[in-house]
This record gives sequence, structure tokens and C-alpha cells, in this order.
Amino acid sequence: MINSNNKLGKSGAFASLFLLFALLIFPAVSLAAVDADALLKQARDALTIGQIDQAQSLFNQVPAPGPDGDDGQFVYSRMQLARISYSMKDPGKAREYAEQVVVVYPDNVEAKNFLTSLDRETKPEWQKTLEDCKRFMPNLLKGASMTLLLVFFTMIVSPIGGLFIALGKISRMQPFMAISWFTIWFFRGTPLLLQLFFIYYGLPAIGITLSPLAAALIGLGINYSAYLAEIIRAGIESIDDGQTEAAKALGMTYSQTMRRVIIPQTYKRIIPPIANEFIALIKDTALVSTIAMVELMRAADQMFNAYFNVTVLVMAAVIYLIFTSVFTFIFEKIEYKVGVYERR
Amino acid sequence: METILELKKVVKKFGSLTAVNSIDLKITRGEKVVIVGPSGSGKSTLLRTMNFLETIDSGEIHFEGNPCGYIYKDGNPVLDCQKNLCALRSEIGMVFQQFNLFPHMTVLQNVMEGQVTVLGKSKEEAREVALQMLEKVGLSDRATVYPVTLSGGQKQRVAIARALAMKPKMMLFDEPTSALDPELVGEVFDTIRSLADDGMTMVIVTHNMGFAREVADTVIFMETGDFIAKGTPGEFFSAETQHPRIKEFMDKLL
Ligand SMILES: Nc1ncnc2c1ncn2[C@@H]1O[C@H](COP(=O)(O)OP(=O)(O)OP(=O)(O)O)[C@@H](O)[C@H]1O
Ligand SMILES: [Mg+2]
Repeated sequence: MINSNNKLGKSGAFASLFLLFALLIFPAVSLAAVDADALLKQARDALTIGQIDQAQSLFNQVPAPGPDGDDGQFVYSRMQLARISYSMKDPGKAREYAEQVVVVYPDNVEAKNFLTSLDRETKPEWQKTLEDCKRFMPNLLKGASMTLLLVFFTMIVSPIGGLFIALGKISRMQPFMAISWFTIWFFRGTPLLLQLFFIYYGLPAIGITLSPLAAALIGLGINYSAYLAEIIRAGIESIDDGQTEAAKALGMTYSQTMRRVIIPQTYKRIIPPIANEFIALIKDTALVSTIAMVELMRAADQMFNAYFNVTVLVMAAVIYLIFTSVFTFIFEKIEYKVGVYERR
Repeated sequence: METILELKKVVKKFGSLTAVNSIDLKITRGEKVVIVGPSGSGKSTLLRTMNFLETIDSGEIHFEGNPCGYIYKDGNPVLDCQKNLCALRSEIGMVFQQFNLFPHMTVLQNVMEGQVTVLGKSKEEAREVALQMLEKVGLSDRATVYPVTLSGGQKQRVAIARALAMKPKMMLFDEPTSALDPELVGEVFDTIRSLADDGMTMVIVTHNMGFAREVADTVIFMETGDFIAKGTPGEFFSAETQHPRIKEFMDKLL
């Protein structure tokens, strides 16, 4: 009977055949000129007193609207039916009711949303997860590329900065020693989070306003330079004095000695601890999310708050793991390469 | 004979310890000076003042007739600028007890390094000279290996080649065989001997009296920063003329 009502609106001949059939079986219902509003009221009353069957039958009697009919009652009744069926654990029936609405009103948002979430409910778990992944991936990748930018920048800047700070510290020139000492003391001695806050929120007080990206790059750059400086300094000081003597005896200047003889020999010793710092760096970039930078952690956090879906956090973890694994692998290769001369 | 290096009243102190005590020494071109003496007597320190690796506390050092390496403020020596010192050092080769080869460079690169970095030669030119020098010390076949694969004697010969490649006007050797196993001492002495035969000016610190006697023009006995005795090997080693302190020292060595 429901089907016949729907098809009536579509194809005349086909529908009238069904109408005939319907007339034979349910003469009383189909002949009654029902008032939709009255039906809905009765149905609601039935619902409030818990007569579900009665309510369903009444909702069902609300007819499909004619060419100029009012749609409100029809959509309302069918969606009520769909929800009742769903709550009675009959998603198949629920789908049928919602589809009746869509057939008449293809753009009805309520029915379409209902069908979408019904689809989701009935899909297998892995398919749901896959869809989540597809949904979250673009934003996560955008965040991940920002994370990579921060990591690469810091990996390039901090060894250079660290080298200069280290050379300053081992130089015998007071001002350089003082600057190096202060940089290491301050930036290793306070939390990176605090430094980022200071650069982003604090510097505007003295008239320096930075974009979140600039603040993040400066914060990470200086912080990691300070850490690497100590590693590099220890590396330089671990090289036998005889090397400096031999270089000097050949007539090399201080900078030639450093560049050609001392620093190349430190690589093997400083790359493992530096690699360690860089792995920490990959994770430390998450801290810049606190100064309005959208990187991987922030992107994941935003989507987690919007959808309350743990999948997005798992995905972020996987991306971080991929980064740390790839970098670990690369550093191991480099470490092997720079130590070649020590193998017999 | 022309004097190449001259020390005038050179004093070097480490705190209250006087390691080199007002030493006067003239080295003529082609002369082979051997310095012997007990441990801690100041031999290495004296040698290192000769190429300005130690800063003297007073005195003068003349190289090829000119006072070098220091400027004098209120009569006290202060090391000259880096540029002048480097130029001086590149003309005086030095070989260390511990070889001090650059481990991250191959044998060939070790011998090329000073020529390219200090003398500014092209790589091709430096390679050619380096190969000649390796030939001279008998190590042409090891040019492409890293020092870690060499024996002690081979390392020291490479160190000698590295110094020679700078075409120095004189060579300083600080106990060149003391870190070697006894069976490897000979090959290094052979190399030094062939340099001596070529007429190279040399100052050698060694505990090997046989070699001192054989190669030296002048032998110096040093103790607590002073020259106790100085003479030809003949005077130095013959029983009649020998200083009693030297006899005591040599008896202990044997
Ligand atoms: N850099 C230094 N700082 C302080 N004292 C030093 C330094 N270098 C050498 N000395 C001291 O100066 C004295 C002379 O040392 P030097 O190395 O010249 O002796 P040496 O004759 O070469 O001894 P060896 O035969 O053991 O090599 C020693 O008492 C030594 O302890
Ligand atoms: Mg010594």
C-alpha cells in the first residue's frame, strides 16, 4: 500500500493498477478521506501512551502529498516511522521509510542524513575506519607537511648555529664566550614551550611582532642550536690535541685546522647524539601548536575535537612513527658512512 | 756555514717550572743535531719552541738571519700574527712521536693536505709531489688506504712524507721511533738516514744512542732545561771526553 502510494505520483498507468489492487485489499483505508493533521495528532498521542503499533499504523496512513499538497506531514510521519523502526532494531524497514521521503523529495536533508548515518551503522568496521582515514587524511597531511618544514628548517639551521656557539665557547675571546655561555645556559635551562610563548606573545611587548611560523622557526632554531652546541663542543674537545699540533706544524691557520682537520673528525662522534636530538625534534614540533601553528599534532587535535574519533589520533601517531623511523634509518646510514675511515 | 735557525737565551716556563732555561743554539744549514736526555728534561719543549708551537717567555729566535715569530712589547716576546707564524711553520717540518696522521684522510690526502690548504697548490700538482714523497719513503703502494690500516712504522713514514711534501728548509723529529715496536724502528731510521744523506737540516730528539752516533753532526745532552754537554759524536761518546752525567745516563739506558 505504501509502495502503491509512491508510484502513483510517478507513472499513471502503473500506479492505477496498484491502486486497484489496494482498493481490493484495504477498501476502508484507501477510501477514507483522511485529514493528515488529525492523523499525526492521534499518532503522537498513541506514542505518548506507548501504543507503538497503533502509532505506526496511524503514521502510515498519512498520504503522500499531491502536486500541490503540503509536504510537512508526510515527511514528518515517514521520518517518525523510520526512527521507530530503527529503535526497534529494524534498520531495513527504517531505510524503506527514509527512502520514501527521498523519492518524493530528493533534496530532503533530514532523510538523506538519516540514510547516511544508517549506511554507516550497517557497514563493517574496517570500511568505517577506511572512510575515517580518507576523511582525516587531507588535513593531517597538510599538518604533517608543516611539521616536516619545521623539522627540516631546524635540522639545517641548528648545526650551523650550534657550531658557531660551540666555537664561541671554546674560543678564548671573552665576548664570544659570554654570548655562547648565555645562549646555552638560557635555552637549555628553560622549557621550549616557555621560549615559544616568550617569542610569540612576549616580544610584541617590545615592538617585535612575529607570525606564528616565524616565531616557531626562531624558537626551534635557537633551542636546538643550544643543544647541538654542547654536543659539537664536546666533539671538538674529544679530538686529540696531536691533530691540532700536526695541522699547525704544517702551517695551517686556526680556521683551516678546524675546517679541514678537527670538525670532519667529530662527525662520527657527534652524529649519534645529534640524531637523537633530531628524533626528539620531530616530536617537539608539536609544541608549536600552542602558538597558533597548525602542524600535525594541532591538525589531529582539531579533528579529534570535532569528530571525537580516536582514529585520527592513531593516524597522527602512525605519521609521527613513519617520520622518526625514516630519519633513524637515514641517520644510521650517514653514521656508517662517516665512520668508514676507522674500519680496517 | 750559514746559520739557518738560531736560539738566543730562550726561556720557556710552565708556571714556576722552567722547562727551557736560557738556551743558546745555532743550527747551520745541513747540520744534523741530535738531542738526548732524561725524561722531563725539556727536549720536546725546546723542539716545539723551534716552530713556535710553544710561546717562549724570553729570548729570541732567528730564522735565516732574521728575528722571527715574536714581536716585543716592553722587551717581552708576544707571538706574531697568525699569518706570519703559519708561513714560518710551513717552512719547518715536524714529525711527532705519535705520528698524528689525519685519520679521516687517505695516505695520499694526508700528504697532499698541507700543499693544497697552506701552499695553495692545485690538486694535480699536490698529488704529483705527494706521490714522489710516498715513493721516497717507500709507500707508493699504500696511497689510497686510510692510516688505520698501516703499521706504526708505515704511519711514521707517511708522517715524514707529509712534512717533506711542504719542501721544508729544516725538519724537527720528536722521538720518531719511541711509539714503535722494536722491529719497526729500523725502517723509520732508514728513511731519516736517507734524508740526512740528501743534506736536510735536522733536529732529532731520540733515546737511540746508536742512531745518534751514526747520524749526528752535533749531539746535545739536556737535563732540567739546560745543555749539560754539546759536541761531536766522537767527543760525546768516547770514554775519555765523556761527561760523567752522560755516562750515568747511558749506563741506565742499557
Ligand atoms: N703543557 C705543559 N704544561 C705544564 N708543564 C709542561 C707542559 N709541557 C711540558 N711540561 C713540563 O715541562 C718539562 C719538560 O717537558 P718535556 O716534554 O719538554 O720533556 P722531554 O724531555 O720531552 O721528556 P720526554 O723524554 O718524556 O718526552 C716537564 O717537567 C713537563 O712536565
Ligand atoms: Mg718529549
